Amino acid sequence: MDTVKEEKTETGGEEQPYHYNRELFYSFDKEKGYSQRVDYMIPENQTIIRQQWDLVEERLKGIRYLVTSGKRSPIAWYMEKALMEIPMLAGYMEMSAWRIRWHITPMGFKQLKPRILEKYAALFGITVEALKHPDLENNLR
Amino acid sequence: MIKLEFEHRQAGHCENGVTSNLLNYHQYKISEPMVFGIGAGLFFSYLPFMKMQHAPTTTFRVWPGMIFDRLTKELGIQTVILKFRDPRESMTKLNEVLDQGYPVGLQVGTYNLTFFPPEYRMHYNMHNMVVYGYDHETYFVSDTLMEKLVEISYEDLMRVRYAKGTFAPMGRMYYPTYVPKEINLKPAIINGIYKTANNMVGVPFFPLIGVKGIRYLARQMRKWEKKLGPEKASYYLGQVLRMEEEVGTAGAGFRFIYGAFLDEASRVLNQEWLKELSIEMGENANKWREFSYYGSRNCKKRGKADQSYDFLADMLMDCADREEKIFKKLAKIK
Repeated sequence: MDTVKEEKTETGGEEQPYHYNRELFYSFDKEKGYSQRVDYMIPENQTIIRQQWDLVEERLKGIRYLVTSGKRSPIAWYMEKALMEIPMLAGYMEMSAWRIRWHITPMGFKQLKPRILEKYAALFGITVEALKHPDLENNLR
Repeated sequence: MIKLEFEHRQAGHCENGVTSNLLNYHQYKISEPMVFGIGAGLFFSYLPFMKMQHAPTTTFRVWPGMIFDRLTKELGIQTVILKFRDPRESMTKLNEVLDQGYPVGLQVGTYNLTFFPPEYRMHYNMHNMVVYGYDHETYFVSDTLMEKLVEISYEDLMRVRYAKGTFAPMGRMYYPTYVPKEINLKPAIINGIYKTANNMVGVPFFPLIGVKGIRYLARQMRKWEKKLGPEKASYYLGQVLRMEEEVGTAGAGFRFIYGAFLDEASRVLNQEWLKELSIEMGENANKWREFSYYGSRNCKKRGKADQSYDFLADMLMDCADREEKIFKKLAKIK
């Protein structure tokens, strides 16, 4: 861990959260030709990954508002939290996308049969109770 | 318990690495760039109508699975490629094949991949890895992205093999069974280069593929800030950069690997002009790196553009010109 800390200061003390797996990178230099090196991700690449997770958090905020104000069902919340979209969730649930669209409305959610609720709960790795009364906290993992 | 003697070597790109490592197990040494070049993996397309994580898809490689298919066909290597409807059946088959003594390549989704770095765990179904053994419910995995060998449980493995969404893997597994003793690389390399060049500069009419695709992306990029607003524009740009740098491309959207391949090919074929082109390709790759360096600054400021999109688009146009020159020369290979 000590070596990692040193690297942090080298890059101007910028925050580098991803430093536990080294990957292989190629590079080219006109004199030396092609070379490979195994290293941690460079800060620029960390920025663009960070950007994606920022968007996820932002979207979660929006969905939380919609769920608390009664415009979407908790399934919308868990779907967003699992970074899924409707076609993908439809694939996992083996249903048509239109049925999923109906389920993410509060009206459709109320009419869901226990069997389907259980299927959703199993997919998201939670209990049926948690599905009905979601804990709307913004912890991604 | 089965644990095969499998040599784990890291690689820039998962599918190349898996193919190269699997052949290495069958005593056939082939480098990662060579796999990539013969498999004609280099590609470019910009697909604005296909959204991935809420932004248009840009791809720098051919369809998943194509590199392995093309390479083994070119070299006359016998392979087995399987897909299953039933997850349990696919796992039983996997055990059977491991019992026979073949390490197996698998296409998986990355979201539930437990050993994966958390920041990479998006829904991305084009990842490849090798399973080289099992012990009851635990599977031994060699993943070219990871520094070390890793393990995964039965349930998790089944889940990642049946991830859903675009390019769902459907439990795809593949492994070579027989490698011929004498392999002539020369025609394979020529075919590979020809195919890549054709993909990049030879596709008529369709504007989203190859060099034309890069130019199209550049033209679109100029409009982004006006059309989408600064936040979304920077996210769209970020998506291009993620595809270029992150998803196992070893940097600059495979241009480094391809340059290394041209370098190696010039030695195998004894053609000096390929060496020159490999240097040109390297310089081009460095330009792509520069593009992603400046681009990533735009992504950082969250809305405020550090570099104008016109400046970035000009860089892309420059890359497109360079690549057009290179691939037009490569298309004449004999």
